[in-house]
Amino acid sequence: MNCEACHLKELEVESFEIREVLRCILHTIVFHRALGLIRPKDIDLELFDITYVQCGEIEVEKKIDDKIEQFITWIDKHPNKKSQICLSFYEVKTKQPSWFTNKIERLYWEQWFINLNVLQPTKSPTGKSQHSKLVMDPGEESEERSSRRTLLEQSLQEVLFQIIKFVNEKKDHVPPINDGVIYCPFEITFPSSSDSTFGMDMIKRMLHSGGHPSMLS
Amino acid sequence: MLKMILKSLVLIPRNSVFSPKKMNRSSSNSEGAKAEQIIFEFFAKSLHIILESRTPFMSSRNFSGDQMICSPSPSSSSSSSSSVRPRDKWFNLALRECPAALESFDIGRRSSLEPLVVDVVLVARQPFVGDQMSLSDQDELACETKNEQVIERWLVQYDNRKVREASASRSSSSNSKLQVMYKKATLLLRSLFVMVRLLPAYKIFRALNSSGQICKFKLVPKVPTIVEPFTRREEAEMQKFAFAPVDTVCGRLCMSVLYRSLSDVSCEHSAPVSPTFITDYVGSPLADPLKRFPSLPLSYGSPPLLAFQRRHSWSFDRFKASSPPPSVSCSPSPTRSDSQALVRRLPDIPTGRRKDEERDFSPPCSPSGPVSRGITRTESAPVRIPAPSFESKQNLVAPSPRLKLLRQASLKPVRNSGGAVESGAGLEKLFLYGREEFRRSSRVRLSTNSSPRISFSRSSSRSYQEDFDDNDFPCPFDVEYDEITDPSSRSGSFDQRGDIHEPPLESSGSYPKKSQDAAVGALVNMLKKAPPLRQDVSETSIPEIYWNNNKKPAGAHDVAAASMTASGIALAAKTTADALEELRSYKEMKNVLLSQSTMGSSSVTTSPFAVSGS
Repeated sequence: MNCEACHLKELEVESFEIREVLRCILHTIVFHRALGLIRPKDIDLELFDITYVQCGEIEVEKKIDDKIEQFITWIDKHPNKKSQICLSFYEVKTKQPSWFTNKIERLYWEQWFINLNVLQPTKSPTGKSQHSKLVMDPGEESEERSSRRTLLEQSLQEVLFQIIKFVNEKKDHVPPINDGVIYCPFEITFPSSSDSTFGMDMIKRMLHSGGHPSMLS
Repeated sequence: MLKMILKSLVLIPRNSVFSPKKMNRSSSNSEGAKAEQIIFEFFAKSLHIILESRTPFMSSRNFSGDQMICSPSPSSSSSSSSSVRPRDKWFNLALRECPAALESFDIGRRSSLEPLVVDVVLVARQPFVGDQMSLSDQDELACETKNEQVIERWLVQYDNRKVREASASRSSSSNSKLQVMYKKATLLLRSLFVMVRLLPAYKIFRALNSSGQICKFKLVPKVPTIVEPFTRREEAEMQKFAFAPVDTVCGRLCMSVLYRSLSDVSCEHSAPVSPTFITDYVGSPLADPLKRFPSLPLSYGSPPLLAFQRRHSWSFDRFKASSPPPSVSCSPSPTRSDSQALVRRLPDIPTGRRKDEERDFSPPCSPSGPVSRGITRTESAPVRIPAPSFESKQNLVAPSPRLKLLRQASLKPVRNSGGAVESGAGLEKLFLYGREEFRRSSRVRLSTNSSPRISFSRSSSRSYQEDFDDNDFPCPFDVEYDEITDPSSRSGSFDQRGDIHEPPLESSGSYPKKSQDAAVGALVNMLKKAPPLRQDVSETSIPEIYWNNNKKPAGAHDVAAASMTASGIALAAKTTADALEELRSYKEMKNVLLSQSTMGSSSVTTSPFAVSGS
């Protein structure tokens, strides 16, 4: 089975915006992959004039929130310029028992890469890298922040449109709807460094398809 | 008032590709029928999704069968515990009720699968246009052609021009194709559900829903029978998004949207809505002043609002009302905190639970009653008019129980299930709705009713309801202070209060015979003598007063006694003086209750005016 990958547009976010941005994106993606009977929920973002949709499953909400918190903690410890979160959907396959005790295999069929450029609180006017706090007029700083917020909102909307387009364009790889399954199982990972993210994911995919479950769990 | 024009145009074409003549009867019919059904339901679900997010005040965001109890979060719009309707199971997407969609699609249930066009029209609201619902479509167009603009056009169509695949394939293959088709249609509808919330029109929809004021625009989804194509200029101004089509057995489902950026569209507020609700206050002698009232959410201490509240408030208002009821002016703040409490309470009223309370006893004079009635009748931002901070719903429960309790001849034991907040809330509601009881009955039964009131103010909302369900209590302002059966310590203080009322009745049996002017004069005098209430109120909130037993000085009790003395009179007169009396009684009640908080149980048995329970 093909594992489709979607790399979303990079977003420049401040640390306090990470939570809302990630919730919006992750829930939107998971909602599109919650093909069981759901009762969606509309959630209005507080920082942006955007309404996103949750599938309404508490487990999903909790899982996503936990992962976001872990990511934020990780970001604080590793203030890299760019970070990436990988949302992967998989199917659980059981194989014949072999000398591997673990017979459960995850077959990834879709991966989403959310690219964030986390701006540090003492951001420069460009906001692209970590700089010492510049002396700026409060008015200018607020204007800059406001404009940056507006741009981020537009970018976030573009990301959501991107998700919709991807979901629409590629449907064949989606597993069939199984009775009793509300949402497709997924996992959220954030690699330690952005440089090796894609490579690691590729390796994981290859290993998955190669059938070495113990290395990929 | 929102106007909705919906027409269904879903028809099943006679030359349907699913015609049995073209398919193997044995298996193709069923497969064709299934495919046709999937397509039909796809149309229905699409229409439902679009209308649900474009029909202000009918969206599940505000209220639905699942949402009669407002959720804390205004954005949350679903309840996982709701039952699943058969239609919800289609495409595994349970949506909230959207009568417009159901109505339009039910009508066209026998129609062919013609393209479904949904125009979302932004209409400039005409301020003094008559009821447009009575106009025909053409009349409406004539009136609003210049004032409306199609900001979105959704197009859902089934394209059967695709080369029809022969149905010679095996049933299993057909089944798998149907499953794939159904899965893709499900994914498409998921995308549609997200898309409708990303487009600019959704912001207008949300603004209209959340605003408690009448906007200059209104959002009107239309399903036109005759689709007027856009001009080139219009089309150039609009952006298009086309969903990926879903291949079906013999065709494909297509969906697209043309939408407009709404950067130049603003939803300006015009007249506030709340005065409308206030005017719906049936039987209110303050009809005129009510019209002056600003819209909800209420500003703390706003004079018109205070007047409004005072009209339906309780004893504390009597100290202030130095003018005839219709012109009750806002007096300074002995009861300002009370007013604030009332203000806080009012937003809680018009909710689903409030409706239930209404049905229980529909108080005529309650400020919340007519407000909520007005809100429920019009369904115009009923939940949104109050300030968003008012989210507690316990308050909603309290009024009805309290009203019943007020009428209850026998008191019930206090149920101390709640904390000070609940008691305070109940007490506030007491003041808020006690007026209703006063209006219903010309008598103030302070002694008997104050205790149960206090009890309820302490008890939880559930206990309120239980009491209400069980008893029919008399008006709290009945002068017949019969018995006080409430064994609670606070009931004793109420007894005291009731006792205070009684002597005037006993000693001044001729009071009812006094003229209305005399009653007004007595009320004025009483008001002049009521400084302590003002001081006490400024110091603490009502709930705290009730629960801080040692705070209230004895003087307040005397004042309350005096006020109650003056208040327990002229109940028979149903005139302006009667209204003043009511206000005064409310005031007295409050004073008594305030005094109780300070005097506590110690004062229960010491008062010479204690009414013995029997």
